[in-house]
Amino acid sequence: MIPAKIEDVFIQITTSFSGVIIDITAGNFVRKEFNLQESIYNVCPFLEGTLEALEVSTPFLLEGMVIVSNSIEYNIDIELFKSEDNVTTLIHDRTSVYKYVDQLNQNRNDIFFVKRELAEKNIELDKLRKIADKANEEKSRFLAMMSHEIRNPLNVILGYSEMISEEKINKNVKEYSRLLLNSGKNLKVIVNDILDLSRIEAGKFELVNSAVNIKLVSKNAIRNYKDQNKNKEVVLELEFAKNIPELVLADDVRVNQILSNLLSNALKFTEKGIVSLKVKLVSEGKEFVNLSFSISDSGKGMTNQQAETIFEEYQQNNESDYRFFGGAGLGLSIVKRLLKAMNGSISVESELNIGTVFNVEIPFLKVNTPKSNRIEKEAGFTSKKIKGKRILVADDDALNQTIVAHILKKENAILTQAKDGLEALNMLKTEVFDIVLLDIYMPNITGEKLVKLTNDFKKENTNIPFLALTANTTPEDLKRYKGIGFKDVIGKPYTAVEFVEKITAAL
Amino acid sequence: MIAKKVLLVGNFGVGKTSLIRRFVLNQFSEDYISTIGVRVSSKVVLYENKEIKLLIWDVAGTSGDEKIPKAYFLGASAAMFVFDLSREETYLTIDNYLESIRHLSGLKDITIVGNKKDLLTKEELETVIETISVKIDLITSAKEDENVESAFLQLASQAIK
Repeated sequence: MIPAKIEDVFIQITTSFSGVIIDITAGNFVRKEFNLQESIYNVCPFLEGTLEALEVSTPFLLEGMVIVSNSIEYNIDIELFKSEDNVTTLIHDRTSVYKYVDQLNQNRNDIFFVKRELAEKNIELDKLRKIADKANEEKSRFLAMMSHEIRNPLNVILGYSEMISEEKINKNVKEYSRLLLNSGKNLKVIVNDILDLSRIEAGKFELVNSAVNIKLVSKNAIRNYKDQNKNKEVVLELEFAKNIPELVLADDVRVNQILSNLLSNALKFTEKGIVSLKVKLVSEGKEFVNLSFSISDSGKGMTNQQAETIFEEYQQNNESDYRFFGGAGLGLSIVKRLLKAMNGSISVESELNIGTVFNVEIPFLKVNTPKSNRIEKEAGFTSKKIKGKRILVADDDALNQTIVAHILKKENAILTQAKDGLEALNMLKTEVFDIVLLDIYMPNITGEKLVKLTNDFKKENTNIPFLALTANTTPEDLKRYKGIGFKDVIGKPYTAVEFVEKITAAL
Repeated sequence: MIAKKVLLVGNFGVGKTSLIRRFVLNQFSEDYISTIGVRVSSKVVLYENKEIKLLIWDVAGTSGDEKIPKAYFLGASAAMFVFDLSREETYLTIDNYLESIRHLSGLKDITIVGNKKDLLTKEELETVIETISVKIDLITSAKEDENVESAFLQLASQAIK
């Protein structure tokens, strides 16, 4: 590019006050556009109205104006000077400078509008997120409500199934009763799984860590399934590495839930052979220890495709995936989420007709404190404490009352039953009890209200344990009930063993 | 025929150039090209049986506290302040902006125009009108050619006052 000569980038023109060109004194910039005796306004329309307004002997600068020559736009700066006789106009070609200013300005403005658009999109996204959160909350509330509604009749189904199975009945009826009981238990697992999942999704899920003996948790999980496992063709095994620490900080309920889920799954799909749980130490630091739990079975195994989707929700909906028969397909999804909350991991290896191994790894914080009472408690309990105890049970549901009466009769307790809160209150005013079980939703006086009326009770009843007998079993419910005076909660549906265990612990 | 220099001022991107293009050329483009310095267009309008040549200065939009060069106002007979009805920041400090223009131009009355009506619902528009502390002379849409002519005629009427 040939550099412009100085005279090519400016032009100096003398005009009358009304803009008629009198002289072109210097420069060649767009020279051909300016002709003597023609109006300068033809090329510089912005001077119309400006020239007349100029003050005499006062230099004046106009920046960033535009003129056109040969259909090309030029950015110019203009210096004006008005004397007593005429106006001198000096036009500078500043196109190359303004080209960059133009680009910078355009960029600045474009960025502004993009930022603005992003901000608007963010607001929109925020609104959508709030709508989604609200929908999720509604879903959780619906599930909690439905869970309550399902738990009550389920309690009756399970209770009566247990009662029937204990009667002298023929072989067929016994089998039907067993199937009924199994289905009821499956339904209970599904209801719990759905609630757990909705709590995790709603961000309400919290781990409660305490000093835990992992060996004991594992033993209990195995023992529980040994008791339940009626298939003599399947052997349950447990193996520990020697270097497993005695205590770690963990949520024992959730660790048990993980192991139970995986063991239950293994047993469900193993007709013959071995189901084993092996606990090993993977790595150890000053403050933490990584433990692995391998749950293996000699069951039917899975294809690679099935193994890839095994941790997704509602997998049982895939009819060809027989592995999840009997559940909602939420168990493994919950296990995965629980492990995520513990910063743990899970993987699966499986071979069709050979078996499956689930490998779980969890990092635990170490504990150097003495053994806690909680973890030293072995599974199993004694129900002897119930014998002869005066137990008041208030529940407006006659079917539930029958189940309670059946269980407590077997335990030789002295049972008094009330059909609602008011009747229970009158009994608490006049009779003496060792423990009271209250349904929450009762006519006249609710369980929640009744437990607070200790001042109205007979003196001997003011310090006895009260247990809530309810289908409201979320952690928030449990906390609330314990906060208002209940010692513990018996969640519906319950088995006879669970029911007696809770009462025994409270006495 | 008398010629009157009038200026359009306001934040960048409020649609000053679009209003002028609609008024002078009856054209509209969705493309946004920022104006550098000043572009001058002209159009002859008939106001109260008088032909007036409006020399319309399209002054580059400002941002924040940027000031318009005082030189631009020399010889100006009227000014229009344009804001974007859909962008709060273009009218939030309208009082300060108008005061600054009055100070620079020496003009007493300034035509106040809210543009881009097409981007708002009726309810949103009502909310904006309630929010703004000064009286809006005209609500326009350069895109839909709504009230554009009226806005410039009002400007012309101020110019010949």
